[in-house]
Amino acid sequence: MFETVSIFAFLATIVGIAIHWVATPAEGSRCVIRGWVHVLSLLLIEQKSSLLGVLKKLVYLLAVVCFLVLAITGFYPVLVQGKHITGFGMMIHATFAPIFALCMAILAITWAGGNRFTAEDCPWMSRLLRRVTRLHVAADDRPCRCSLVLYKAAFWFLLFLSLPLILSIVISMFHLLGTDWQHTTLAMHRWVGMVFVIVAIIHTYLAIRLRMAGAI
Amino acid sequence: MKRRLIAVLVVWSVLSVPLIAAEEAAKLLGDEGDGSRANPIHLIPLFAENDKGEKGERIDPNAEHAMPFSTRWTCGECHSYGTISRGWHFNAVGGNAPAGRPGEPWLYFNSKLGVQLPLSYRAWPGMHRPEQVGLTPPEFTKIFGRHMPGGGPGEVTPTDIEEIARQYISGKLEVDCLACHNAHPGQDQGSPTGYAIQVTKMNFRWAAAASSEFADVTGSVADAGPTYDPFDPDAEEPKAPRVTYDKRAFDAKGNVLMQIVREAPKQRCYFCHSDLYCVEDGEKPEKWRADEDVHMAAGLTCVDCHRNGLGHNIVRGYDGEAADSVNPLATATSCRGCHLGDENGTRATGGRLGAPVPKHKGIPAVHFERLTCTACHSGPWPGDEPVLAKTSRAHRLGTINVNKEVRVLPHILAPVFARQAVTDANSSPKIGPHKLVWPAYWGTLDDKAAVVPVALATVTKVVGAVLKDVAIPATGDWSELKEEQVAQALKALDGAGQKKPVYVTGGMLYELNDDGTVAGRQNHPAAEPYMWPIAHNVRPAAQSLGVGKCTVCHSTNSPFFFGKVAVDSPIVSVSKLTRTQYEFQQVPYGRTWAFAMSFVFRPWFKVIAIGSVAVIAIVLLLYGLKALGAIARVLAEQE
Repeated sequence: MFETVSIFAFLATIVGIAIHWVATPAEGSRCVIRGWVHVLSLLLIEQKSSLLGVLKKLVYLLAVVCFLVLAITGFYPVLVQGKHITGFGMMIHATFAPIFALCMAILAITWAGGNRFTAEDCPWMSRLLRRVTRLHVAADDRPCRCSLVLYKAAFWFLLFLSLPLILSIVISMFHLLGTDWQHTTLAMHRWVGMVFVIVAIIHTYLAIRLRMAGAI
Repeated sequence: MKRRLIAVLVVWSVLSVPLIAAEEAAKLLGDEGDGSRANPIHLIPLFAENDKGEKGERIDPNAEHAMPFSTRWTCGECHSYGTISRGWHFNAVGGNAPAGRPGEPWLYFNSKLGVQLPLSYRAWPGMHRPEQVGLTPPEFTKIFGRHMPGGGPGEVTPTDIEEIARQYISGKLEVDCLACHNAHPGQDQGSPTGYAIQVTKMNFRWAAAASSEFADVTGSVADAGPTYDPFDPDAEEPKAPRVTYDKRAFDAKGNVLMQIVREAPKQRCYFCHSDLYCVEDGEKPEKWRADEDVHMAAGLTCVDCHRNGLGHNIVRGYDGEAADSVNPLATATSCRGCHLGDENGTRATGGRLGAPVPKHKGIPAVHFERLTCTACHSGPWPGDEPVLAKTSRAHRLGTINVNKEVRVLPHILAPVFARQAVTDANSSPKIGPHKLVWPAYWGTLDDKAAVVPVALATVTKVVGAVLKDVAIPATGDWSELKEEQVAQALKALDGAGQKKPVYVTGGMLYELNDDGTVAGRQNHPAAEPYMWPIAHNVRPAAQSLGVGKCTVCHSTNSPFFFGKVAVDSPIVSVSKLTRTQYEFQQVPYGRTWAFAMSFVFRPWFKVIAIGSVAVIAIVLLLYGLKALGAIARVLAEQE
C-alpha cells in the first residue's frame, strides 16, 4: 500500500512539475543553461551576503544535503528493495536526522519573516473577502502571484510537517508507547515523510522559478 | 488367473474397509473423556506380560513368584497403548514423526577418552544417531533410559540373536504411564531402588513396578546368568530381579487404588526436565537460590501449555510448530498463542489462562520480527560469558551418586544467543537463547570429507589403550589431552583399520599429517557446536532484557552481542579459544558494533530533535498568532 502510493505520488509530482514547467513558462529567459545557473545560484553563497545571509545559506545547503540523504536512505530500501530500512542505512538515516531537525529549526527562525503572507501576495483573497464580508478591505486588481504564494505556503507546510515527522520517531524512543502505537508512529513517520518530500520538491521547484523571475 | 486375482483383491478391499473402520472405532474406556473435569478413580487390577509378550496373569501380591505388572496390559485395558506409544516422548526411533525444532540431545561423554557426543534418534541438524556409534536400542536404553518415560528405543525388538535372548530376560522398557501420571508422592524415579537404577541394571520389565509406591524390586538382570528364565517359577537365580508387592495396597478383590491423574504434576515433569545454571562463578549452584519459571509461580503447571490428547503428541510450544505437529493446539498454546492470541483471527483468543497481553512500551516493533519471545524473557540473565548449565537428562539430576561439581561433564553452555534453525518455510529465522555443546569425538573422514564417528566400543578399546595413563579429575571435568596424545590415538585408530582417522573437538578437526603430527583445522561442519533453544525458565517481565534501557543489548560491551562464548575441549590450547555471541547470530561485527556505538549518541539525538521541534513549534505559534492579530486588526478597523 505505502509503496504503491509513494511511487504514484512521487511520479505524479514529477510529472506535474514537468507539465507545469512546460505549460506555464517562468518569467524571464527559458534558456536551459540559464535555468541551471539559477538552480546553482540557489546553492551558491552570494558575495554581497551578510554574515546572517551566509549562515542562512550554509544551513540551507546543509539541510538540502541532509534531506537528500534522509530521502534516499528512507525510501530506497522500501521502494526499491522492498524491505525495511536496516543496518548501515538506518544508522546513516539516524545520524543525519538530528542535523536536519536542527537545520529546520534554524531555517524556521531565519526564513519565517521572509515567508510571511502579505496583502500583496494574494489580491484575489482581498477581493474575495471584500465581496463576501462587504467590508472595506483594500484590494487592487493586480494578478495573483501564485508561485510566490505557493512557495510561502510550502515553507509553512514544511515547518508544520516537520513536527509530526520528528516527533513520531522521537516519541517511539521513549518508554511510552506500546507495540500498537509503535506501529502507528512508524506508519505516521513514513506517510508524513512522503508528504514532506513531495512538498519539499515543490518548494524547491518554486524557488527556482521565483529566482529565475527575480521574485526572491 | 488374472480375473481371480482381481476378484480376490476386490473382495479383500471391500471386507477390509469395515474391519479398519471397526478397529479405529474400537475406542477403549479411557480413550475419550466424557467432559468431566473430575479425576477418574483408578481402582484397577494389575496384569503381567507372559513369555509370549501377551497379556499374562493378574497380579497376585501373595504369589511366591510374582511378576512385575505391565503397563501395556494394565493401563492398556482402558487406554489404547499403541496410540499412546506413538506420542512425542516415545516416537523418536520410528523416524516417521517430524523432528521439528532441534531439542535437547542425549549426551554421551567420557572424560578420559575426550568424548562428548550429542546423540538422538531425531533428525536434527548436527545430530548423530546412536547406531552411528554402535549403540543398539537396548544399549542406548541402558545408558539413557533412566530419564525416559519408557517406550521408544526401549521397545524396539533387536535383530541380533544375543540381544533377542537378553531382551527375553530383561523385557522391554514399556511406556511407563506412572512416570508422568502417578500423583502419589511415593512415585520413585531416582532413588537407589527406583526407576532409573532399574533401567541401568537392565531390569526393563521391572522398572515401572519398581517406580510405583506399592512394589519393591531387588536383583538385577545384568547380574543374572544368561540362561535365567524370568517366567520359570522354579528358576533359581539369587541375583535375578524379584518383585515384592505391598499387600496393603490391594483390596479384597485384588485391585489397587492408583493415584493416577490426567494432568501430569509438575514434579513428574521436573524429573527429566530440570536444569541448573552455574551462575555464581566458582560456586556450586544451589537450586534454592534460583527462581522457578514465572508461569509456575503464577500457579500454572507444565501441562497447562504442553497439552496433548490420547495420541500424546504434546505441544512443544514453539513458533511454527503447527507445520510439524498434528496437535490442533500447536499454534494456540505458544507464547504468542496465549499472550497475544490470533491477532488476525475473527475472535479474540489472547489472554488465555490469564496471560497478560504485553504492551512492550518503547520496544520498536522490529524486535518482534527478529527475536523470539524467549530472547528477552527466558533463561539466565546473560553475563560476560555463558555459564555452565546442568540438565536432568545430561547430568542424571535426581538420581543417585550425582557428581555435584560445577565442571562435571558434559559441558553445556547457556545462554548463547543464536539464530534459530528454521523448521518450516513460514517461520523466519529469529534470534533466541540456546544451550550449546561442543561435540568431541573420534571419527574417520569418508570420501566426501564428512566425518563418520567411530564406534564407541572401538574408541574405548583403541583410544582407551593409548590414553590409559591419563588422569581423570575428581571434578568430573575433562582429562587434559595434549596434541601429541591425540596424534598417538589417531595413529592407533589408523592401525586398527580406521582409515583417515580424525578427532573433533572445540570446533576443530584434528587429522594426521604425513610426518605423524596432528594438524587442526577450523570451520569443518562436523565440528560445529550443537545448539538447542532455551524455553524455560521464563523470567518475569520486569526482568526481561531491554527493560528500562536499550543499552542492555545495544552497547559495545553487551553480553547479548559481544559476550565471549568459551570453546570447550579437553585439549588445553583449544579450550582457551573463544567465540563471540554475534557470530552465532550470523551478523557482521562492524555493523553490530557501529549500531551499538550509535546508542551513545541517542540521548543527544533526542535532545536535539525535541529542541528543534520546540523551536519550530514556537515559530509556527508566533507567526500564527501574528496572522491572527492581523486579521483581528483588519476586523477592528472596519468597526
